[in-house]
Amino acid sequence: MRVLIVEDSARLQRTLASALRKSNYAVDVAGDGDEGLWMATTHPYDLVVLDIMLPKRDGLSVLAELRRRGHSVHVLLLTARDTIADRVQGLRAGADDYLVKPFALDELLARVEALCRRAYGDKQPDLSVGDLEIDTTARAVRRAGKAVELTAREYQLLEYLAHRRGHIVTRTEIENHIYDGAVDPMSNVVDSAVCNLRKKIGAANASPLIHTRRGQGYILAEASVKTATA
Amino acid sequence: MISIRRQLTRKLLGAVLLILIGGLGALYFGAREVATDQFDRTIHAKALAISTLTFQTAEGFRFEFTDRFMRGFDEHKSRDYFQLWEASGREIARSESMPGGANLPRRAGKIDHPAEWNVTLPNGRPGRALGFAFKPKVTDPALHGREKELHLVVVSDREDLDETLWELLALSAGWALLLVSATLWVIPRVLRSGLQPLDELGERAARIDADSLGTRFTLEDLPEELRPIGQRLNDLFGRLEQSFDRERRFSANLAHELRTPLAELRSMAECALKWPESRDPSVDQETLAIAQQMERIVTHILALVRGEEGQLAVTTELTAVGQLVRDTWEGFAARAAERGLNASLQIEETECATDPALLRSILTNLCDNAVGYTPAGGEIVIAVRRRSDRVVITMANSTSDLEEEDLPKLFDRFWRKEAARSGGLHLGLGLSLSRTFAKAMGWEIVAAFDGQNHLVFTLSGLITVAAVNDTAGMLARPSADRPDTLIDQTI
Repeated sequence: MRVLIVEDSARLQRTLASALRKSNYAVDVAGDGDEGLWMATTHPYDLVVLDIMLPKRDGLSVLAELRRRGHSVHVLLLTARDTIADRVQGLRAGADDYLVKPFALDELLARVEALCRRAYGDKQPDLSVGDLEIDTTARAVRRAGKAVELTAREYQLLEYLAHRRGHIVTRTEIENHIYDGAVDPMSNVVDSAVCNLRKKIGAANASPLIHTRRGQGYILAEASVKTATA
Repeated sequence: MISIRRQLTRKLLGAVLLILIGGLGALYFGAREVATDQFDRTIHAKALAISTLTFQTAEGFRFEFTDRFMRGFDEHKSRDYFQLWEASGREIARSESMPGGANLPRRAGKIDHPAEWNVTLPNGRPGRALGFAFKPKVTDPALHGREKELHLVVVSDREDLDETLWELLALSAGWALLLVSATLWVIPRVLRSGLQPLDELGERAARIDADSLGTRFTLEDLPEELRPIGQRLNDLFGRLEQSFDRERRFSANLAHELRTPLAELRSMAECALKWPESRDPSVDQETLAIAQQMERIVTHILALVRGEEGQLAVTTELTAVGQLVRDTWEGFAARAAERGLNASLQIEETECATDPALLRSILTNLCDNAVGYTPAGGEIVIAVRRRSDRVVITMANSTSDLEEEDLPKLFDRFWRKEAARSGGLHLGLGLSLSRTFAKAMGWEIVAAFDGQNHLVFTLSGLITVAAVNDTAGMLARPSADRPDTLIDQTI
């Protein structure tokens, strides 16, 4: 999952980015409204964490512009403005959630997780494909009842594919949602990660779940399931 | 509690009752006087008739009373009586209505100014008596000059008069009672109706609380007498609204300014606790920086509060203002050059009795704002001039984002053109603090546009020692109150 943090407090920006990265999110940051708007409109984020009082362009204006341009990315407003009127204004401007500073980090992470899940229409924190089970809250994976140990990046990749289960996911989409823009387009980092993931989830059950569609991308699905194009 | 309506009711009722009772009393006594006078005139006329018809003869006295005239005095049941004496007291005539043996009381006034008094008639009824002395006409010319003085007393039954007077008294009392009742009923109602606009004004004012200070009275709807009150109340509510807004803004801004460092602090601590294995060593430095930032906020707020409460210590000494301005600018010159700002100083050397520390703090803040907010490549002009008995420091810098309507807000606490923080560098307290310091020094600071996109701050104060004396009350305060920590800090 890829998250954009638009926050002018450098310290908070660093802390939030660090916490989200440690929670297996790909994170980009912006320090002002103009930069935030540009990034949000040029990258396919799963969530934007947006401060309201920003230099150059305030958060509500960024949000309004995003919605005006037809971007439906989920937006979590994170601000020191705590009155009911502020919350109502923020939510009516198109925000999906509102969190007041200072906040509990766990609450922020839970809200980010819920919003990312909703971005793919999932309401349950548990995802399953065949005998593969993913507990997104505990970030634990089991195949045929056996625990599968994954690196943070592998888990991110698997969770993203699971959210898009049954649909073809292109390499570019994986790059955009799992890596925070630091991937060389010519590298085979995605193929390599998929390969490693296949091996790990195939250890407990050899039946393949990640299928390659040559020239198109990957699908996470049971072999017998007919797949659709995303 | 004092009630205008109760007071007015009490006073009006008292006044109206007094007027009513006085008026009716005067009417009664006037009527009584007129009736009695009329009664006395009638008796006087009868007495004059008796005296006119009494003649002195050589043999004695002769009376030429007609029967018709005497009819009133004849019968025992008559209501009129008279008795006539010589001056020696010898009775020479009495009316037939007088019972034998009974005498009328004798008093002798003058004929044109007779004695008049109340008596009890021989039959025991109340009467009115009139008496005077006179000399009868003589029938014999030889008696001329030897006329005898006679004393006449005429008495009339006054029961009818008394009855009339009683009726008049009863009528007056009845009217008084009726009018008093009507007054008691009417006055409170008239007052209630008359004071209704005042009640409405009071009720409307009572309904206004901290959340509805925007309410204003429509002066056109108020009676002329209440318009000044309505106008004053409107003015008062206007000032209160501004004050409440300012305090609300201040509280909200203060909360906002504290929430962000708190959020930073909390999230850093939670991160460190959640992922202790990857704890960033720079967290400690960051924590210290946040603590310092919060400390600065608290220090500035305290300085503001002390300044506004007049508790700021001011230490006045002879200060070379020009040199102080140059020294202060020195600290910003490099930054201004880095930003490509074109700065010029026009200093007229002036000495002034003021607090150099507070003045330096104000200048530091103005310079910092000028360097920080002037667009790259812009211009800063700092001037020190002497104007009559004042020293005037102006700091003008080109600006691109400030509007005319921003000027009144410049000195508000926490106001920034851009509501966002600038990495914690500008709290938005500098100018309000500068104004507080200037006020404590007896100086003033104002901001204006010069018409060429330059924002001009003008700081001025009296050069004379008198200006120092104005703040003498603060001189003895302990130096611990001085905001030394603010000096050379960006606010």
